Amino acid sequence: MIGKMTKKYWPIFILPTFAAFLIGFVWPFIWGIYLSFCKFTTVGNVKFVGFDNYKNIFIDNTFTHAFGFSVKFTIVSSVLINLLAFIVALLLTRGLKGTNIFRTVFFMPNLIGGIVLGYIWQTILNGVLSVMGQPLLQLSEKNGFWGMIILLCWQQIGYMMIIYIAGLNNVSPDYIEAAKIDGATDFETLIKIKVPMIMPSITICTFLTLTNGFKMFDQNISLTAGEPAKNSQLLALNIYDTFYARSGPQWKGIGQAKAVVFFLVVVIISLIQLKFTRSKEVQA
Amino acid sequence: MDKKKKLSPQNIALTVLLSLVSLVWIYPVFNIVINSLKENRFITTAGVFELPKSESFIGIANYIESINGMDFLRSFWYSLIITVSSVCLIMLCCSMAAWYVVRVNNLFAKIFYYLCIFSMVVPFQMVMFTLANTADRLHLNTPYNICVIYLGFGAGLAVFMFSGFVRSIPLEIEEAAMIDGCSPLQIYFHIIIPILKPTIISTAILDTMWVWNDYLLPTLVLDIKKYRTIPMAIQYFRGSFGTVNMGAMMASIVIDIVPIIVLYLICQKYIIEGVVAGAVKG
Amino acid sequence: MKMKKFFAMGLSAVLSLGVLAGCGNTGTATSAGTDGSTDTTASAAAANGAAGKVYYLNFKPEQDPQWQELAKTYTEKTGVPVTVVTAASGEYETTLMSEMAKSDAPTLFQVNGPVGLANWKDYCYDLSSAPIANELTSDAFALKDGDATYGIAYVIESYGIITNKKLLEKAGYKVEDINSFDKLKEVADDIQARKGELGVKGAFASTGMDGSSDWRFKTHLANLPIYYEYQKDGIGSTDAIKGEFLDKYKAVFDLYITDSTCDPKELAAKTGDDARAEFVNGEAVFYQNGSWEYSSLSEKFSDDDLAMIPIYFGVDDAKQGLCTGTENFWCVNKEAAQEDIDATLEFINWCVTSEEGTKCMGEDMGFVIPFKKAVESKNVFVKQDNEITASGKTPVSWNFPTMPSENWKNGVGSALTAYAAGTGDWDGVVTAFVDGWKTEYALSAH
Repeated sequence: MIGKMTKKYWPIFILPTFAAFLIGFVWPFIWGIYLSFCKFTTVGNVKFVGFDNYKNIFIDNTFTHAFGFSVKFTIVSSVLINLLAFIVALLLTRGLKGTNIFRTVFFMPNLIGGIVLGYIWQTILNGVLSVMGQPLLQLSEKNGFWGMIILLCWQQIGYMMIIYIAGLNNVSPDYIEAAKIDGATDFETLIKIKVPMIMPSITICTFLTLTNGFKMFDQNISLTAGEPAKNSQLLALNIYDTFYARSGPQWKGIGQAKAVVFFLVVVIISLIQLKFTRSKEVQA
Repeated sequence: MDKKKKLSPQNIALTVLLSLVSLVWIYPVFNIVINSLKENRFITTAGVFELPKSESFIGIANYIESINGMDFLRSFWYSLIITVSSVCLIMLCCSMAAWYVVRVNNLFAKIFYYLCIFSMVVPFQMVMFTLANTADRLHLNTPYNICVIYLGFGAGLAVFMFSGFVRSIPLEIEEAAMIDGCSPLQIYFHIIIPILKPTIISTAILDTMWVWNDYLLPTLVLDIKKYRTIPMAIQYFRGSFGTVNMGAMMASIVIDIVPIIVLYLICQKYIIEGVVAGAVKG
Repeated sequence: MKMKKFFAMGLSAVLSLGVLAGCGNTGTATSAGTDGSTDTTASAAAANGAAGKVYYLNFKPEQDPQWQELAKTYTEKTGVPVTVVTAASGEYETTLMSEMAKSDAPTLFQVNGPVGLANWKDYCYDLSSAPIANELTSDAFALKDGDATYGIAYVIESYGIITNKKLLEKAGYKVEDINSFDKLKEVADDIQARKGELGVKGAFASTGMDGSSDWRFKTHLANLPIYYEYQKDGIGSTDAIKGEFLDKYKAVFDLYITDSTCDPKELAAKTGDDARAEFVNGEAVFYQNGSWEYSSLSEKFSDDDLAMIPIYFGVDDAKQGLCTGTENFWCVNKEAAQEDIDATLEFINWCVTSEEGTKCMGEDMGFVIPFKKAVESKNVFVKQDNEITASGKTPVSWNFPTMPSENWKNGVGSALTAYAAGTGDWDGVVTAFVDGWKTEYALSAH
């Protein structure tokens, strides 16, 4: 009934968003796919070259390296962030004094943007490394990698912590009481009751950390800028670098093709995630 | 949850531990603040941990320089206007669209809805060049109309979140209003908006954090001859003029994060609720 | 009743949007008011209607304020709006790429020589018949491809080792004493050994490998091994460098990082500013940089205290002069509207012929410009370059425009940084230099 009456109001309700969506997403997306099959510098002269760009993705080994680096980075950061956030969430649901202050503090870095985060941490980490007599972030792939991990942990633990706290607060105290009466230790309660009950939170956080890690760009460009010699480039930065920083008409098409591959990988991750979420929810 | 836990030694130890961790957590921000008060040549790689001394302390000179020299207040204004206009536009348009999508639910609405979900997984690099080009051709390249681009690119998440919530609103209220003679617009503004308010606030917060901190989209889309947002200005600080004015850069970082932290302390409750709501839906 | 209420709601929504838009407009007005160039651009554009405009994407960050000033002067005189945007250092290519794709693309940009031209040829307007081409003092300063002239060199620069004469004398040496690499090393080692006594932190200012400074080594210093190899083989470019003189490159670089103001491990984060500050504050005696530094050094030093000596390379020191050349060629965007092209041609011609233009470029920017009406430069380094050449030495030409790509330079830079810090060895530099050269040339052929 409502539907029928509302239908003819589409110019007011949906047209503005839809038009902007066409401009801001649909058209650029379709055009982007098309351009990945073309050689171009500006849109003034575009030459269709078929699958050449896709073949040339591996022309320099930066893409393969960035891919591996991204995968490694995503896995390590996701595991660490989730683990630490979960521990903090457990501590903050014990009714300790100052819980609210701790929560406020841990969440705070989330509000700071990637570029700024990068520079904040570059100052500190380079300071520490230089005092320790270690190679600076720009000099060592290993230090750059762990630098980005530390940065991302600092930024995202608070966010994930909030989601875990919400999940833990939803666990009914009755279950825990019952378990205690049955003589379960704290650890058993945690593994047997709390973890299964907050499975949805765990799935959400895993998904968020995976995509955030895989798509990370700003923090990468400001913290290490891909140094040394592009060794700390994550995929997103590698694509940007290929697209904008390399001169010569062949590179833009290759960059666009890399972006399509990147997009497909993200879609696959999301689909796996979706499937995983659904099956887990049925169990719970 | 038993809130009134006894002060067991274990809990005291944990509180102390968490307090220490909290200090470590705040330190990076504190470190930037102290360095922003130092003279440039004292901000060395290894010397960043030193507190300002009488010879290195220069008060707010770096702030003055960053504001005057880099025209930082203008960047601040651009960032502000882009964030406010984009977030307002996204909230209004996307909540309307979401309601329409859920209630009308015809083929077009369904396609639109699935496209929105799809757009959420597409990485920005996929569309960066073509989006910048489209924006340029349509002259959507000033801080005053770039909100259209943000609406388009941000529609996915917002429509998704709103429609999830609209689905949970019982149809009876709206139907009763309709029988009373309300038009869809009246129903929307009088009934839906008040019910949606918490979701609007949560989504607005998520989008504010995104737009305020966004770097690549404005860099590629905005007319750089005239406009530079704060993240762009800070990135430009690094490379401009063949030199790096570390002091002024630290000062700009402080100017960038202070408003967000103040906003956070004021609206903490909403922000945290927003994160939870966003996560549960997303 | 309800309808009214709805209208009130709708109206308030529209109003609030209006307020936003209103804020926006005030914003434009204030911002234009505070910024001179935007202001003049806007008003002049309004006054001129369809006449052309100039958008210059400037490569040289050091001269940004002077260009802004010159653009303003030109606009005041002629009413033609000139916008100058300077790319952050190391990001010229990125900025150019993204700006050229826009509808309001730069009308004037620059390439660094034949290699750069190859990438942008399709966008370069043929300048053979432009008035500015006739103003060049020599045809050698035109960048040609076949019969067409696509680029015009607008500045000739020199670089070498800038020396603080006073400190050198304090250490008991004269500039004239240093006439070979061995002598340079001897002097530098001695100064380094007595740094406490002399009150300096080191002989050489920090060899900063931050993006704001690493071009001094990955590009400028790297020119020397390339120059000598080209000389020996009698060629002007190659797609496969042999790296015959890389051991000399290593010797100079080693000298820089050993007799330095700081621990080599810290070089990765040292900026161009740091090195300049060390030199200006008298903490270092030597500082490798170019004639473009004159404007910032002349504030602190008198001309008599400064000298620029060749970067002696241990190959043919008796004959080696300063490195003099150009990697800055102006190109005019062919895709721009005809009136904008015309306006741009007029603007650059004015820059190099008018009194204001030549004075600004020659004195304020400290450039030596290869044009007939150039004013004599006050730049002491330029004068010294002329003296050195007059004394029978040969200037070392700039061969880095033949370097295969920015990517190659970055590769060498990263390897040098790693070598300095001890995380990589010299073989890494050789690989980046020789193998990287070949790979990059092969890639650009695609």
